[in-house]
Amino acid sequence: MSQQQPATSTGTGLRARVPRLAEAAVERARLTVVPPRALGRTQAARTPFAVLVIALLAAGVVGLLMFNTQMQQTSFTATALQREATALTAQKQSLVLELDRLRDPQRVAQAARDLGMVAPSQPAFVRLSDGRVLGRPVPATGADAVQIQPAPVEKPEELKRKTVVVQVDPETGRPLPSRGPARGASTEQGD
Amino acid sequence: MSRPRRSSRGEPHVRLRVALIAVTVLLTVFAARLGQIQGIDAASYVERAGTSGLVTIDLPAQRGSILDRNGQPLAESVSGLMLVADPQTTGPNAEAIAQVLADRLDLDYFDQVERLTPSDETTRFVYLARKIPATQATRVVEVLREKQLAGVDSRPDPLRTYPAGDVGGNLVGFLGDDGNPANGDDGNDPMVGLELAFDGDLAGTDGHETYEVGGGNRIPLGDRSKVDPVDGRDLRLTIDRDVQWYAQKALCTQVERFDATWGAAVVMDTETGELLALADCPTVDPVEPGQTPKDSRGSRALADVFEPGSVQKVLTFAGLLDADEVTPQTRLTVPGELEIYDRTIRDWFEHGVLRLTAAGALAKSSNIGTAMAAEEQSPEEFRGYLEAFGLGTPTSLGLPAESAGSLPALADWNRLTQAQVAFGQGLSVNAVQMAAAVNTIANSGLHVEPSLVEGRRTNGAGLEVGTGTTSVDRVVSAEAASETTRMMELVTGDGGSAPNAGIPGYRVAGKTGTAQQAGSQGYANGYKAVSFGGFAPADDPRFTVYVVVSDPKNGGSGAGTAAPVFRQLMTHVLQRYAVPPTGEREAAYPLWWKPSDR
Repeated sequence: MSQQQPATSTGTGLRARVPRLAEAAVERARLTVVPPRALGRTQAARTPFAVLVIALLAAGVVGLLMFNTQMQQTSFTATALQREATALTAQKQSLVLELDRLRDPQRVAQAARDLGMVAPSQPAFVRLSDGRVLGRPVPATGADAVQIQPAPVEKPEELKRKTVVVQVDPETGRPLPSRGPARGASTEQGD
Repeated sequence: MSRPRRSSRGEPHVRLRVALIAVTVLLTVFAARLGQIQGIDAASYVERAGTSGLVTIDLPAQRGSILDRNGQPLAESVSGLMLVADPQTTGPNAEAIAQVLADRLDLDYFDQVERLTPSDETTRFVYLARKIPATQATRVVEVLREKQLAGVDSRPDPLRTYPAGDVGGNLVGFLGDDGNPANGDDGNDPMVGLELAFDGDLAGTDGHETYEVGGGNRIPLGDRSKVDPVDGRDLRLTIDRDVQWYAQKALCTQVERFDATWGAAVVMDTETGELLALADCPTVDPVEPGQTPKDSRGSRALADVFEPGSVQKVLTFAGLLDADEVTPQTRLTVPGELEIYDRTIRDWFEHGVLRLTAAGALAKSSNIGTAMAAEEQSPEEFRGYLEAFGLGTPTSLGLPAESAGSLPALADWNRLTQAQVAFGQGLSVNAVQMAAAVNTIANSGLHVEPSLVEGRRTNGAGLEVGTGTTSVDRVVSAEAASETTRMMELVTGDGGSAPNAGIPGYRVAGKTGTAQQAGSQGYANGYKAVSFGGFAPADDPRFTVYVVVSDPKNGGSGAGTAAPVFRQLMTHVLQRYAVPPTGEREAAYPLWWKPSDR
């Protein structure tokens, strides 16, 4: 600031002294558009930029499209895998059920009985370290066999079929008066 | 240069104005459309959006399994499906569809044809079959699709299976429809047993999920919300499935042979109080509970009380020995009959005056001898011992519908009460209580609370139960327990009342019981409950087994009916858990005394 102040005052003095020179200088100092050539730019240099921008735009759009497609594809895969997982879970459960059925103590006991096996009547062991027999081993007999099959279930009273015998007079077709147990007698029928 | 360009496109402010008007018109149109969509037609658009692809599905929680002590399942849930149909669509192909269903799922052909044929014009939904394993149901739907038979679809329908059938069925309970619409009609409401008692833990919490679909696939980044289901917790029992199976079979064999009304067998781990088996007969198959009479669908070992009879003498003598009021050699002069007030007490065998020791009174199961010995004790003390043995208090198994049994109140306790209770009449117990009481003798005088569930679990009644909550209380001294044990060994030895309960090579302690049960008119029209309680090996007990059979015909007795089951079960567990025989028997206590002896 302190340097500019004297320069301006000397400038005003100068302009007064040499007006013609100043006018020419001012005329020369007016702003004009700098020709691109002077800046080292050419008209042709614009094209690569435009191409770049368009390419970027295109790449963005295509990328987005592909990304979306990819996601759809992944979604199909996810659904398919989900379905497969459900099916496999169901299959596993079926196999577990099958295994459970095979392991059912009832089934194992029946299979053992069919092989002619019986429960031991006395526990006895062989100690492997010294080969000693612990307990008193006796041949197992069928005496201790338990009944494996459950007894047939008795039908509840409501399900038993009741037969009502009504004697009919062959001539009149009317029911005869009851004679003792003949009428209303209920007999149970097996199933 | 610039002037001609300006004139061809107009002044900037003119252009601006034109653009402004255009934008304003456009925005007004948008705003009007927005107003129409959001304000006027909102409901119809919401509906269209909802039906176009928003799907809400239930995510049912998996019900927890009920496992035995080795992790073998007694009850487990699998994802089942139900088959439903729209009769309006299936009607024309009813026969063809029914054929597939009959072939693949063993369903009744005629029944299915009837369901698949529309009964009227409004019915658009029928159940074809419920609770089918998912694989089978899916295959049927696929087959129908291949054959282009439309109208049948599947829906989730959780399936509870009981792989071991009736093994532990009376404990596990079953699911059914409790008739409460709030609980749904899927037949998955717990009815009895552990399924009911621990339903809160087993059931879990259902979740649900909402998402958008397009063409059968989820739309990625579409609207979705999900609440994960919380699966139920498994319930692990102390029951050993194989022992339970064998106990049920052995018990039921005897119950049927003697045409008894019911029976119960308890196998208990002596030290821990864990129940390895809690068998009931009649048993219930959780899949078909209707096959079993209603009063036998729960555990009668807990629900039914009875007068324990002579097994009670073990507790009487243990208390007397602990209080030093009797020794095994105490001399008793036992008359043929004992009159107390207006009652005459007799023994199960006719006899004149007997010179029995206390040990002899137990071994020979003399009512009179036991009643005489019990007179040494005050009612307060005697009743206190029985309470400490756990009589009159419900067990902490955590099962619903337990009867606690009863001890006579001290106020009503007279000389006759004392005498009767001493040999097991006039009080009532359930089978598990009695097993735990006998187990106290086996466990050196320490009463262990029996348990059925592993860990610490809270049942529906808010009671915390399980092996983690077991309490141990001293009832009698180790010495008294050991003396009682030696007296009980006499029962299974030669000259005892049940030599058939003994296992050769092993030291087995036990006691028979045959008790008159009061009917509607007292003991006159009553029936018998026969029982046997004991443990082995006597010098280092591992297992306590208690068997009771109610109302056996054909001359059932504790020794003849219950003792064989005891021996079978004890043999089975000793073998299964590899318990070798222990030491030889100690010198037996004398059963009789002679006046010449010192």
